[in-house]
Amino acid sequence: MRGGFRNTVERLDRPSAYYLNRNNKKSRRNDRNNRDEKDGDTEMANNQQSEEAPDDPLRNATTLYVGNLSFYTTEEQVYDLFSKCGEIKRLIMGLDRFNKTPCGFCFVEYYTHQDALDCLKYVGGTKLDERIIRTDLDPGFEEGRQYGRGKSGGQVRDEYRDDFDEGRGGLGRAIQQTERLREAEKNRDGEQEMREDYGRLR
Amino acid sequence: MADYDRRQGGRGGGGYNRKRRYRDDDESDHRPQRRRYNEPPLHVRIRKQLLTLAESPLRRWHEEIQTTAHLVADNYDKEEVKSNFLELVPQIVVEQPLKTPFVAAVVLVANSMQPDVATDVLARIAPLTEEKIKLGEWRDVKLYLKLLACLQSCLEGDGLFPVLEELFNRAVELQTSNSDDTIGTELVKIILLTIPYIMAAGSNQGQQKAADLMDKTDVIASEPHALQVLIDPHHAEKGEESPTANSSLIGLLQKQLQNEALNGWELKCLPRPWQMPLEEIELQEKMENAQKHPLPAITVPEAVVTGPRALFPEVYMSVYANQEVESVPPVSSVAASLIRDGLLDTINIMDFNRNVTARYLIDVDCYFADGTFVKRATPFDRLRDIDGGRSTWKPEDVAVDAVFSQLFQLPSPEHKLVYYHSVLTEACKLAPAAIAPSLGRAIRYAYHNTHQLDLELGYRFLDWFTHHLSNFGFMWKWTEWADDVELPDIHPCKAFIIGALDKEIRLSFAQRIKGTLPPQYQVLIGPEKEQDTPDFKYNNEHTPFSAEGKELAQLLKKKGPDEEIQPVIARIHAAALEQSIDPLVSSTDVFMTAICWVGSKSLSHVLACIERTKDRLLDVGAASEAARLQIITSVISYWSAQPGVAVVIIEKLLNYSIVTPGAVIDWALVSGKAGPGGEALSKSWVFELVLNTVVKVTSRVRQVLASGVADGAAETEVAAMRDLFKSMDDALTSWAEGSKDQMMDPAEPMDGLGGKRAELVQRWGERWLRVFRRRSAIEEAHMLAAKPSSD
Repeated sequence: MRGGFRNTVERLDRPSAYYLNRNNKKSRRNDRNNRDEKDGDTEMANNQQSEEAPDDPLRNATTLYVGNLSFYTTEEQVYDLFSKCGEIKRLIMGLDRFNKTPCGFCFVEYYTHQDALDCLKYVGGTKLDERIIRTDLDPGFEEGRQYGRGKSGGQVRDEYRDDFDEGRGGLGRAIQQTERLREAEKNRDGEQEMREDYGRLR
Repeated sequence: MADYDRRQGGRGGGGYNRKRRYRDDDESDHRPQRRRYNEPPLHVRIRKQLLTLAESPLRRWHEEIQTTAHLVADNYDKEEVKSNFLELVPQIVVEQPLKTPFVAAVVLVANSMQPDVATDVLARIAPLTEEKIKLGEWRDVKLYLKLLACLQSCLEGDGLFPVLEELFNRAVELQTSNSDDTIGTELVKIILLTIPYIMAAGSNQGQQKAADLMDKTDVIASEPHALQVLIDPHHAEKGEESPTANSSLIGLLQKQLQNEALNGWELKCLPRPWQMPLEEIELQEKMENAQKHPLPAITVPEAVVTGPRALFPEVYMSVYANQEVESVPPVSSVAASLIRDGLLDTINIMDFNRNVTARYLIDVDCYFADGTFVKRATPFDRLRDIDGGRSTWKPEDVAVDAVFSQLFQLPSPEHKLVYYHSVLTEACKLAPAAIAPSLGRAIRYAYHNTHQLDLELGYRFLDWFTHHLSNFGFMWKWTEWADDVELPDIHPCKAFIIGALDKEIRLSFAQRIKGTLPPQYQVLIGPEKEQDTPDFKYNNEHTPFSAEGKELAQLLKKKGPDEEIQPVIARIHAAALEQSIDPLVSSTDVFMTAICWVGSKSLSHVLACIERTKDRLLDVGAASEAARLQIITSVISYWSAQPGVAVVIIEKLLNYSIVTPGAVIDWALVSGKAGPGGEALSKSWVFELVLNTVVKVTSRVRQVLASGVADGAAETEVAAMRDLFKSMDDALTSWAEGSKDQMMDPAEPMDGLGGKRAELVQRWGERWLRVFRRRSAIEEAHMLAAKPSSD
């Protein structure tokens, strides 16, 4: 089905712009960095639909990257939903690099390529644990990829996120960090003011 | 437009905007250069227009068709226009079949200006049809024939009729040689679904031909197919008739068409975009006098084949049957079949983009004649006020009905069930106010008929219902079923409620679901369900083998070697012998329960623990029947509050061959461990466990057969499968007939059911039996069909 043939409407079982974009860059950078997880910041613009190479690593892919999970979503919940597309061979939860707690993504591996494609079409973009989840075809899990790449251990997208997302630990961690600093600063200022006030009173 | 912009990027861009660059109004255009709108080339414009035909709710069919036809006819000398058009037309017809009449109208209008258009389209479609007939891809055959039927008015002589007659001849041959034949049935369905489009195309002289053909199809269409009882979505109780007993699709179609013939082929619901409004009388005349073309030969081979998908006779079902006001076409109306057919093709073809499918469902009224439906989102209660003669059909009901007919399709619909779930989810997201109430009435229908729904369909409904709710905040008007909470657990409605809550919890968590339920339901979610990890019974000093249990758990936790485990097991064996209980069963309970507890943090944990201990477990499983059953018992009793987890663990144990499919069946249907006195049969998770197990076995057999390796492996697998079905049949027959010893269990619960209890259990037995007899029959049929090719 891939390649030359074009349907009259877009297909949902194609790799995402994210994947294509990354892979284009990767080949340009000569694949320096293999250890990655997704959902990082991408420039979606300037994305070119590349001609798929004959050795397309996704041609028989059976693994899906699943993103935008709540930190509280359990393996059992993922199992229950994703089994609707076929038996799951392996499920790897994404973990915070430091705390080893779920950080909002996972890899689901099926036995067949078709099950993975069906999952893209039928489950990607629907809700799990009341969040719209994202699925993307993935060339396959490699050890190390289960850990977040963000500075604080979680996913990159959870560093600078400025919306409050309860299921993913509130605000972005980097933002929380600066806020904490500012808060501390303010408190110190406050204390100073107080002292001054007291001084005045005296 | 995105379509075009994207392509342009790939070509280096900028090729088509030369004219605009020098236009005055561009001076004040501050948009960045690359964002400029470029007039796309003609063939791209034609593509876009063809693909969006009839999509607009403004219903400007004639304008759209004329402009497109003009563009095509006027530029037909351009190679790019011609080749793209001739490629796109056959593709739209098989990908977006609701648009076929409109595409046909474009061809007809274009034909009046440039006859080559029709010649070329026919020359393109005829061989494609022939090829699809050869391959047995019957839906595509039907869809190409539909286009040809719509073009009947520009065909010479009898047009498409001879092809249909030829197809019919094959059907007769097949049906006379074998009464179980399904290809003949499929051919008759195609013929009957094509005739209305020929008649709507406006050829008055076709009436006799149609009548002749229908005289012939009557024999096949009116005879109920041998397989129909197997695939009826309803399973009537003894002494009653299934509501769909007389709803064979082709049987209904035959009657509906005969009705139409009596009414001069009114075919009110079909769009006739080739009929121009009065002010276009000139064009209409031009079209009528346009050149006619011979239909290129379409040969039907002597032997026709089933094709890639197994064929079954079809039963027409509606979840909106028997309402006080008709919100969908009645089975007496041909509109029921024609609209359903168009929607089903669309749904099943468009599985690669559920958003487009959902859009089609919402827009269904765009593709049928004016007045076919009431206005969108008309509340059901208002239908009553619609006066005499006008349609009361709700487009939402018709659309939802079509999806449900697939969810309730036996033996199975074309795609995974979750696809149909996703279509309903998207439709509900697109137009919640219109779709949600329709879904509500469909849900009520299924709930109130759950006792006479095929059990497998009952399970599908449960699975859809809970999955759907999980996408919409688990909101449902539970209060309307609140009285049913009082029913005994074994009652079909109560069993549904229990099963639904369990499935909801699996997709979410107990506390959350509890919060969505009215007070009457709170008792159904006990504190044990809110506990993340179940207690380890050996932590209680009073549990026999408590010390050994704790010790084993410690060993498993620190990943101790098997040599350290063995002495503890030996101690249990010795103690059990002293108490003259089965030593292996005793140690297995302790060991397996300890594995469950140590692995209770997550599935990965328990799977890793099983992986580490699999050699010991394999030995235990191989040692005795009782031990195998105990493995299952231990897993399920540990996870009794969350059976979903147990089901997954058992599935993995099956993969390791630690337990056998036979053991699972035995455990569920015979041992009485899944619930006393036949209660197990009413539990949806028991059905799930057994169904999963059977599916595992049957798909394994299919896989082995398909691989075609003749090393005797296939024979062994097939024999094992037959044994499994046989033992299920035996066990279920005794439940269904009420001859099971346990039925007379004196310790039956005092739930006020009295004698009714036996009756209910028997009914569950019957329903189970039907499901697995059908599955067995279908596997046998599959093996029969697969044989010639593997020889």
